[in-house]
Amino acid sequence: MNNALHFDAIVVGSGITGGWAAKELTEAGLKVLLIERGRKIEHGVDYATEMKAPWDLPWRGIGDAELYAREYPVQMLNRHFSEFTQGHFVNDAANPYQTGPDTAFNWFRSYQLGGRSLTWGRQSYRWSDYDFGANKRDGHGTDWPIRYADLAPWYDKVEDFIGVAGASEGLPQLPDGKFLPPFALNVVEQAVRERIRAAWPERCLTIGRTANLTAPKDGRGQCQSRSICARGCSYGAYFSTQSSTLPAAQATGNLTLITDAAVEHVDYDPATRRVTGVRWIDTHTKQRKTATARLVFLNAGAFNSVHLLLNSAGDAMPNGLANRSGVLGTHIMDHANTLSAAAIMPGFEQWTSFGNRPTGVVIPRYRNMDAMDGAGHTRGFSFQGGALQSGWTAGKRTAGIGAELKNKLRAPGPWRMVLVGFADCVPRASNRLTLDRSKVDANGIPQLHIEFAFGAEEHAALAQAKADAAEMLTKAGGQMIMGFDRPGPGGTAIHEMGGARMGLDPATSVLNKWSQAHDVANLFVTDGAQMSSSACQNPSLTYMALTARAVAHAVELLKAGTI
Amino acid sequence: MTNNAWTRRDLFGVAAMVALQGTLPGGGMALLRSLDPRDAPSARQRKLMLTVADHVIPATTTPGAGTVGAGDFAIIALAHGLDGARRPLGPTELPTLQAFARSDNSLDHVRWLEHRLGGNWPTLPRAKRHALLAALDTSAFANDPAARPWRMIKGLILTGYYTSEVGGSQELQYELVPGRFDPKVPLAPGARAFSSDWTAVDFG
Repeated sequence: MNNALHFDAIVVGSGITGGWAAKELTEAGLKVLLIERGRKIEHGVDYATEMKAPWDLPWRGIGDAELYAREYPVQMLNRHFSEFTQGHFVNDAANPYQTGPDTAFNWFRSYQLGGRSLTWGRQSYRWSDYDFGANKRDGHGTDWPIRYADLAPWYDKVEDFIGVAGASEGLPQLPDGKFLPPFALNVVEQAVRERIRAAWPERCLTIGRTANLTAPKDGRGQCQSRSICARGCSYGAYFSTQSSTLPAAQATGNLTLITDAAVEHVDYDPATRRVTGVRWIDTHTKQRKTATARLVFLNAGAFNSVHLLLNSAGDAMPNGLANRSGVLGTHIMDHANTLSAAAIMPGFEQWTSFGNRPTGVVIPRYRNMDAMDGAGHTRGFSFQGGALQSGWTAGKRTAGIGAELKNKLRAPGPWRMVLVGFADCVPRASNRLTLDRSKVDANGIPQLHIEFAFGAEEHAALAQAKADAAEMLTKAGGQMIMGFDRPGPGGTAIHEMGGARMGLDPATSVLNKWSQAHDVANLFVTDGAQMSSSACQNPSLTYMALTARAVAHAVELLKAGTI
Repeated sequence: MTNNAWTRRDLFGVAAMVALQGTLPGGGMALLRSLDPRDAPSARQRKLMLTVADHVIPATTTPGAGTVGAGDFAIIALAHGLDGARRPLGPTELPTLQAFARSDNSLDHVRWLEHRLGGNWPTLPRAKRHALLAALDTSAFANDPAARPWRMIKGLILTGYYTSEVGGSQELQYELVPGRFDPKVPLAPGARAFSSDWTAVDFG
């Protein structure tokens, strides 16, 4: 321990929230160690495929299916996974996890500097009091100890910094933010918006609010409408750790960054009831190393932060660090997600669009708000999707060969519109994470075990979403092709969250309203693990706002000498 | 598998043939060389797939699919299981498909196609070849189980073509950096789609 590195704060994980924690802590003047388990990816230098065309790559950008079946059987299911982006996703074979016999869970992961900030969908939505009040209202889970007003200024701060393009709509269920100019709806979406609004004034189709810059900002370039963000963007046009928070943190001179370091344990001193630092394994040399700090922030991603707490059990807390309540690992969630409707949209054949917009459209929640009008469910669902013209891949489903086929595939195909339903996931104790100590990973660390299933609430919500989506698209002039109401496996929405939930009562929650462990005053968990409910909109903006808020509180306590 | 065994003579014999007709796909030769010998095509099979590809997407104002190597690409893709091509045949599959199973019980599509078209197909007049292939295509898209594997082959030929430089940037348009998004653009007659419209490609 004498040779250990010492810092004011340690941040575990360099993804969306880890980057924010590092930025805020360093800007507050603290000396910070940021530890990342994956490799270093340098902005603008290491985006190896960013400018490649399909014909520049051995597998034409699609990738080697044989390799993927063997080593990436989960990650290959991610829409953004391809030969262009495979370097930004984990190798599943090298990073195994376990699931229960009745669990289907696809855990999409990115172990590298920047984590999933490099590959995220960039959809950035505020939550409302319909969301923060959901648990109290219907009795599922535990009540959030915060409400929208607690977080609103932090949303402002985050949006100001990352840049969110969006349209203000004045919706109570999806509060407006500090937006850059929005991307435009295409010709079909604009018509569908108007037709839906005419039939259902309370339903609003709007452009997806996305962390892509529609104007240059703070040295970052404007989005070039490539929509290949997951390859990495040298323009810095979407928010990632590399484009935004890391350079800010490094500019302070207060940041130390270590990559290729898998943290296995958070050290706890029962005498002071404080964490003292972390232990990690150099993933190349397998050497174990230690650092100490006055503050520890866990931002390893929801499931990995819980994993780390469970693996940090000791004599004082045998069920896991900060787990006197016994709820650590429980109440995990992911949005129930499926293609609710797809329709042909005739009448727009004379129009097309130019460029690749990096966002779709959204129809925010409209059920179970002031009136409980959900059929068999008490929460909300929303839609994301858009109108698109089919491309050459439609030829795979098209009869014919020869010049006629070639000419047909030469032109943009017919317009279609898709709506993908995202249903709120009820927090359940039975959906939980544990450690499987009989199975270890390459570093000798016990593997995570996931038990997860959707229930009647989610199934009912998606059934109603399917019916509503079909009704809306038909009313808008569409000809329905298909629609589904069965959710994909857990993890499909890539919004896995919970496991170290916030709450008012230390007996039933892991974290207090400041994302601070009830049991350990200098330990903060500010990634998705802290979530007490899931809402039905994307959570990352909320994670960032909660992180900035937690850092401010931690720094205040540190300066006051209370931690 | 013996008569499919991969030899350097086969490889370079066909390479010379392909080179005479046009271009070899970037990296295609290396991938072909790396195929498991049990999956490697004979020279005859490569020539068959080249010809078939040129019937699916023929030369017009731009080169055809065989000429740009889409036949080779399809062979490699079938061997590596793109689009699910190495999925095992089910126990209820037709004996006419089971007869062409690989050792892992997936269908050897190219061997099946050779048989299905008949040994003399490559020597037939072009119009006759085209008519037979069109008939196979019609059956496959009418859900004739005995013709269904053609859909996989055709799909991967299309993939090979439209992800080639010719297919992606000459037949279609390719713009890696559009620089802007225009939501409403009049579609002029004869306008070419963008192979770089990734959403269209993903969701076809």
